[in-house]
Amino acid sequence: MKEPHLILEARALLAADRVAGFPGFLRANGFAVGGADAVPTLRAAQLAGVTEPHVLRWTLQALLCGRCDEWQRFDELFDAWFLPANRWQQPQRHDRHAAPPPVGLQPGRGAQDPDDAEDPDDTRDDARPRDAASSREVLSSTDFRALAAREHTLDIEALMRRFARQLRRIRLRREASARHGRRLDLPGTIRRSLASGGTPFHLAWRDRRRVRPRLVLLIDASRSMAPYSFFYLRLARALGAELGDVHSFIFHTRITAVSQALQDPDPWRAQERLHLLAQGWGGGTRIGESLAQFNREHAARLVHARTAVVVMSDGYDTGDPALLSDALARLRRRARRVVWLNPLCDRPGYAPVCQGMQAALPHLDLLAPGA
Amino acid sequence: MTASRRAQELATWQADLARAGYIAEPALVAALLLMLDLGRPLLLEGDAGVGKTEVAKVLAAVRCTRLIRLQCYEGLDAHSAMYEWNYQRQLLAIKLLEHDTRGIAQKEQDIFSERYLLKRPLLEAITCDEPPVLLIDEVDRADEAFEAYLLELLSDFQLSIPELGTVRATSQPLVVVTSNGTRELSDALRRRCLYHYIDYPDHAKELAIVRARAPQAPAALARQIVAFVQGARRLELQKKPGIAETLDWTAALLRLDVVAIDAAAAEPLMDTLGALVKSRDDRAAFTPEVVARLAAAC
Repeated sequence: MKEPHLILEARALLAADRVAGFPGFLRANGFAVGGADAVPTLRAAQLAGVTEPHVLRWTLQALLCGRCDEWQRFDELFDAWFLPANRWQQPQRHDRHAAPPPVGLQPGRGAQDPDDAEDPDDTRDDARPRDAASSREVLSSTDFRALAAREHTLDIEALMRRFARQLRRIRLRREASARHGRRLDLPGTIRRSLASGGTPFHLAWRDRRRVRPRLVLLIDASRSMAPYSFFYLRLARALGAELGDVHSFIFHTRITAVSQALQDPDPWRAQERLHLLAQGWGGGTRIGESLAQFNREHAARLVHARTAVVVMSDGYDTGDPALLSDALARLRRRARRVVWLNPLCDRPGYAPVCQGMQAALPHLDLLAPGA
Repeated sequence: MTASRRAQELATWQADLARAGYIAEPALVAALLLMLDLGRPLLLEGDAGVGKTEVAKVLAAVRCTRLIRLQCYEGLDAHSAMYEWNYQRQLLAIKLLEHDTRGIAQKEQDIFSERYLLKRPLLEAITCDEPPVLLIDEVDRADEAFEAYLLELLSDFQLSIPELGTVRATSQPLVVVTSNGTRELSDALRRRCLYHYIDYPDHAKELAIVRARAPQAPAALARQIVAFVQGARRLELQKKPGIAETLDWTAALLRLDVVAIDAAAAEPLMDTLGALVKSRDDRAAFTPEVVARLAAAC
């Protein structure tokens, strides 16, 4: 019979082995964990001790999580990896979500994948509409594949990028050093004067900083918008590539963040991921509910006094117009500008008479033709 | 055995923090311990008013060290965060030295000596004798360029002042970084830091906090207040009330001599809601009926 401490040691070794594999498991589940994290993980596990599950859990959670959604998913992944009873349940569940996209789910550079993260929730929240719309035709009609149509893509994208660079900047109250300005930058001038022995030959100036507004794009991806939404998505992609602060969402019956998917450097993979996101949705458009959901979940974080919100939709809404009106009013109070791009707007004889547009009009800063 | 020692350590720390007036969940304590062990910064995220800043304050109190706070704001640049030369004094010195007979080099050395250096929080934090707690508050308000700069400091704890040379850290501060999530932080910063997300507290924890922070409130009232606030968080509000709001509201109710939340106290309840909700829409959501319903559920 072995001595008890030897048995303990053997168990500790086994456990250490298990711990060492954990970062890889997290990475496979979309965490931003790199190879460099293996050593700190072992070190932390050593400090925390591997026989006390809770302490180990909290310690590794602090070490390996980087953002809120990772933090919230951590517990079940930890259980899946370390608790033998649940072990097989978890990968299975993961497979079910991971199965449809062969390429899309493995971001090569260990990038974030919040869209996958949302998947379990999607199934839960969306159970009703998905079951109701059991035929798959509706889903496949949202044609994001056109996003990467090769012929004109480059031309259009170049055009859009040029447009993006010309967006007006807003003048702030804060000052920063500038080449020309309205106020002399005394510290800067003295610093420069050092080169000329204390005589200020070159003046330094300060001026008010200018920044581009944050853009939040809400793109209607319902069936009636199918001919246009690909164009808008491409616009969102170009804007996102050129400007830092662009946040894109698509909606039909609910709203989904697509910035991450759009920023994927591989256009084909971006398209795969978008296609995934578009699946499992009902057929109609519920603009009001989507906007209300946006207000609830994203607005507090994303919309501030320098944000321009751009809604791109034809306004054909099957939901309650009062809800749309209310949601837009709330959004209007938070944002600097609310702009509605309607692709039908410049058709001859078009008037914004449909219920959705009627409800929206009082709360818009600008209604513009957008196609 | 190591494991039980760690668990003990954790319990001790939790008790220490509680004595200093902060009720921390064990996961947060584990994160703090790990931060002490690995010497990495701790990034705290969570909604406004859940007690992120408080963590740094109480950490300083428990460790009996200084708290150095860098409040980030838009346009914060390296100079106002690290160091600045006292230009006015330097100018004066240049004037005074004009008739001095010393050599140029010596004069220059004099002007760019530590006497004319204004230490800003970051420089101050790494030149303390005792390792202080450095709180970098609301880092998401600062620009991305500044974030990169910060990262450099946090990775090797030294900074260079061209005129003086490199300043090395005499002590490595305990860095607590907080973010409200108004801007997405860079992955590099997240990778560098340990992470903890502070959520709204559950009933038991919030009650413990109210009891610790407002000991003059009777136990029954405290329980009712917490139940009311927990109910209010379930409403659809633009800004859910945080712990700070709960404490404010408790103070307000005590001031108005409310002893219990019931139908009799309807008027002071409505009057003090301003401590709990901070926007017009949210205030409008609290109609007398809603308040009565919440109060009845307490």
